[in-house]
Amino acid sequence: MTALRTLLILVALAILAAVPWFGSDVLVQFGINALLLAVLAQGWNIIGGYTGYASFGNSVFYGLGSYGVGIAMVQWELPFTAGLVFGVVLAVAFAVLLGIPVLRLRGHYFAIATLALAQVMTAIVSNVKLAGQNIGLVLPPLNNDALFYESALGLLVVATLTVFWLSRSRFGFGLIAIRENEEGAAVMGVNTTLYKVLAFALSGVFSALAGGIHAYWVTFIDPESAFDISLNVKMIIMAVFGGPGTVLGPIVGALSLSAISEFLSSEITSIAGLFFGVVVVAAVVLMPRGLADMLRRFRKSGWRYFAENIRAHRL
Amino acid sequence: MDLLVQILLNGILLGGLYAVMALGLALVWGVLNIVNLAHGAFIMLGAYVSWHLYTYLHIDPFLGLPITAVVMFAVGYAMQRGLLNLVVRAPMFNTLLITFGLEVVITYLAQMAFSADFRTINPSYAGNSIQFGAVVLPLARLMAFGVAIVLTVGMWLFLLHTKLGRAIRATAQNLVAARLYGVEPRHLYAMTFGIGIALAGAAGGLYGTVSQINPYIGATLTAKSFAIAIIGGLDNPLGVIVGGLFLGIIESITALYIGPTFADVASFGVLVLVLIVRPSGLLGKTA
Repeated sequence: MTALRTLLILVALAILAAVPWFGSDVLVQFGINALLLAVLAQGWNIIGGYTGYASFGNSVFYGLGSYGVGIAMVQWELPFTAGLVFGVVLAVAFAVLLGIPVLRLRGHYFAIATLALAQVMTAIVSNVKLAGQNIGLVLPPLNNDALFYESALGLLVVATLTVFWLSRSRFGFGLIAIRENEEGAAVMGVNTTLYKVLAFALSGVFSALAGGIHAYWVTFIDPESAFDISLNVKMIIMAVFGGPGTVLGPIVGALSLSAISEFLSSEITSIAGLFFGVVVVAAVVLMPRGLADMLRRFRKSGWRYFAENIRAHRL
Repeated sequence: MDLLVQILLNGILLGGLYAVMALGLALVWGVLNIVNLAHGAFIMLGAYVSWHLYTYLHIDPFLGLPITAVVMFAVGYAMQRGLLNLVVRAPMFNTLLITFGLEVVITYLAQMAFSADFRTINPSYAGNSIQFGAVVLPLARLMAFGVAIVLTVGMWLFLLHTKLGRAIRATAQNLVAARLYGVEPRHLYAMTFGIGIALAGAAGGLYGTVSQINPYIGATLTAKSFAIAIIGGLDNPLGVIVGGLFLGIIESITALYIGPTFADVASFGVLVLVLIVRPSGLLGKTA
């Protein structure tokens, strides 16, 4: 069973990796976006899915990663990889400096505090001279979509392997313990502050790398689009739709929702955004534990699965 | 000195409006334990109801507020009864997420129905103002402030002295005990949410008279309402007046002395600080 599953995953990966050779330009460009969104969903999965801290501020990491690359390449004329490293440093610094106070908050309070931080960042970066203020930065163009596609795919593989390691390591069990019962975890000897900050930083590293790749790919960044709050919406919805706290759920959620949204936006433009809203409302009511849980249990209980979910949570 | 007085007064007038914005959010949060991330979207809807009443039926925005409130009450009641009651016992993250989804849906529907253009509700007296020495008080803002205070104090009296108000407070304290005394929770939850949304709608109507509206104002207003509810605490509706005034004054002072783009930075900075220092609110009880 495990061997079969590993084989399936490797085949799927090989097909994904081969896309630039047989796919059209449009497909490759869609693939870059979808893969980067999957990285974001997987990054959110670490702090939101495994640790249980619903961060509405992961778009900040993404923006810091974009600006790390932008500032390094435009202002300091450093290579792309140095920009990625700079972006990661910014993200980790943010995760540690603001994570320590903000991660003391629980539930709603944490969610709203991170949302507020995300809203503040646009205004702050618009006033930083090094970051080009509200005009933004124009990066040197690199016309090589296949390279961007493969780096996005590689990043997704690394992020997923990290989450896979989390799901069976002492560190990961500590995070799950924090999600299930934080006092209990502390009593069992988990250094909860350290674990939470590390999880926040780890989730930030992947989001920052995704932001950096995206910035170099689109060759233009400005505060509004780099710190776009609706990106938080997407990554959370994708992770929750696929199955938060599972290894492959966020990827399945991100790729399937990206595909549907792409299809809708080519048919009727304004419907695509509406679609995300409707999906999250329906998903919370009908399958709050995500696609992964649904597929597992649908075989046994069939359509009653949805009714059982409603019955469990209604007034 | 005159300038400072003027800025403080501007902040206070703005703060009254902020208070009534946060009132509905605090009510729903305190009683139903739902942090309604779609709250700002409902404020936006209320503003559009008011705008339509004024533009097509020529009803004065202040006289039209009761109509706006009734319409929005119906929307809120139906929303809680038909949808949110299905998830109220789920983990808090799920209710947060579903109202987040609602915010997206409402914003997109509003954009399709009302277009993304900026709108203003401009009655003939909108430009009038009252002058005290060097200090100028715009009439529309003054009236909006007055209505906001009446609504907030009225809400407080309603919760303290009416049967429905007592039922709401009882439910907030202990749902099981309230049920034993004959409270029908599905209806009462829907009533509470309806009242919260009616207040949001009225706030939207007032907002439309002092500021421009478009379908995207919701998210910022949600965050500000949340900040005010946190600063004031959830124990007492009068707390939101203090929270609203506090935020209004901070924003006015920041806009003048540091720059208008920093007004939002200041209010959200205050929010994060208050959350870190006193999560139960400046006026709330210490845990």
